Amino acid sequence: MGRNMVSVNFISSIGNSFKSAYNHMPSVVVQKDKVLNKVAYIGRKWTSPQQRLIQGATAIFMQPYIDWHNKKVDEKTRKVSVARTCAKIIAGTTTGFFLRYGFIKGIKAFSRPFSQVPKDAKPFAKKMMTFLTPKNLDEKDLDGFQQYRNAMGTIWSLVAMVFTNFLIDAPFTKILTNKFISFQNKHEVKGDVK
Amino acid sequence: MKSPFRSLTPSAIYAKYRNDPGNMLVHTGVIGWILSSAAQIFAIAINDKISPKEKMFLIPQEMADAVVNCLSFYTFTSGVKFIGKKLTQTGKLRTAELTELLKERNLVLEKGAERVKDKVYAGDWNFNITKLDDYKSKIEDIYKPFNNGVEVITGLIGSVISSNLITPIFRNHYAAYKQKDLIKHADKKGIPVENTPNLPAQKVSFADYQKLIYSRPFNKSGNMKV
Repeated sequence: MGRNMVSVNFISSIGNSFKSAYNHMPSVVVQKDKVLNKVAYIGRKWTSPQQRLIQGATAIFMQPYIDWHNKKVDEKTRKVSVARTCAKIIAGTTTGFFLRYGFIKGIKAFSRPFSQVPKDAKPFAKKMMTFLTPKNLDEKDLDGFQQYRNAMGTIWSLVAMVFTNFLIDAPFTKILTNKFISFQNKHEVKGDVK
Repeated sequence: MKSPFRSLTPSAIYAKYRNDPGNMLVHTGVIGWILSSAAQIFAIAINDKISPKEKMFLIPQEMADAVVNCLSFYTFTSGVKFIGKKLTQTGKLRTAELTELLKERNLVLEKGAERVKDKVYAGDWNFNITKLDDYKSKIEDIYKPFNNGVEVITGLIGSVISSNLITPIFRNHYAAYKQKDLIKHADKKGIPVENTPNLPAQKVSFADYQKLIYSRPFNKSGNMKV
C-alpha cells in the first residue's frame, strides 16, 4: 500500500515537472504567409493517396537499405529480401495510390450536397447523386465535407483492396520480385553485384 | 445492441472525420497494412522461384511486418500526431493571427511579464484553444485549417518513421530468429531447405510450409498468430 502511494506520488511529480517544463518552453509563432498557406493546403488537400505515395517514396530509399544491412541472415536471403521489399513497395504503392485516388474522385458523384441536386433530375438519379451524402451535412462547412469525402473514398478503396491485393498486388509483387532476383543473378555472374 | 455497421454510415463517418483528417489517415492506414500483409504472405507462398529456406525467412518476416507495422503505425503515428495536436491546441505552436486574437483576450504572457498565479496562458499544457467561449464564432475559422495541416503533417512524419524505420528493423530481427528456428526443425523432419539456386527453384507449397510450422509442439513455440 505504502509502496504504491510512493510510486503514484513519484509518477505525478514527474508529470507535474513535465507540464511545468512545457509551460516554460517558448511558443512558436508562424509568421510567414507562404508557410501558413502551405500548411492549410496540406490539411485540406493531402489525404490517403498522398500519404501512401509519400510512404512508398520514402520506403524505397529506407527499407532495402535496412534489409541489405541485416547481417543476421545469409547474403542470399538478404538479396531475396531486398528484391521482395522493392517489389512490394512498388506494387503496393502503385495500386494503393491509384485505388485511393480513384475512389475519392469517384465518391464525389454519389455525394452531392442536397442543395446542388438539379430539381428536374429523375428520382433514381437524385437518389444516386445523394446516395453517400450524409444526412447531417452542414453545407456551409465545405472543408468538413471534403474531409468526409476523403474518408469515405478511402474506406471504399479499402473494401476494394480486399480483392485487388490478391488479384493485382500479390501477382505483381511476385513478377517484380522474380525480375529483380533474375537481375541480381545476371549481374552476379558478371561480377557487377557484390 | 448497436450494429457495428452503423458506424460506417455516411452520417457516422461525416461526424467522426469531418474535423479529424489526421485520425482518419491513421485508422485507414492500419486497415490498409493488414490487408496488404495478408496479400503479401500469399504472394510469397505462391512464388515458386523463392527457395524454402528463403520462404522460411520471408513468411515470418511478412507476419512480423504486419504485426509490428500495425502496432507501431497505430501507437507511434498516433503519438506523433498527438504531439502535433497538443502543440496547436495549447497554442504553443500558433499563427500570428491567432496570437493577436489571444492577446486581445489577455491570454498571452508577454516576454519579461510576471506570471499570474493559477492563470492558464496560451502555450501552457492545460490551455485549450477550442474551449474558449467564442471559439466557434471567432477563432475556429482561423485555427482549424492550421490545426488540420499540422495534424496531417505530423501524422505523415509518424507514419514514415513507423513503417519505414521501426517496422523493418524489428521484423528483420524476428524473422531471422524464426528462420534459424524453422531450419533447425526442418532438418529434424528431413524437409529439404538447402540454398538451391533461385532459377529454376524447387516448389514448396504453402501447405508444406504450414505442415512444417504445425509439426512443432505449440508449448515450445513463440508462434505469432495473425
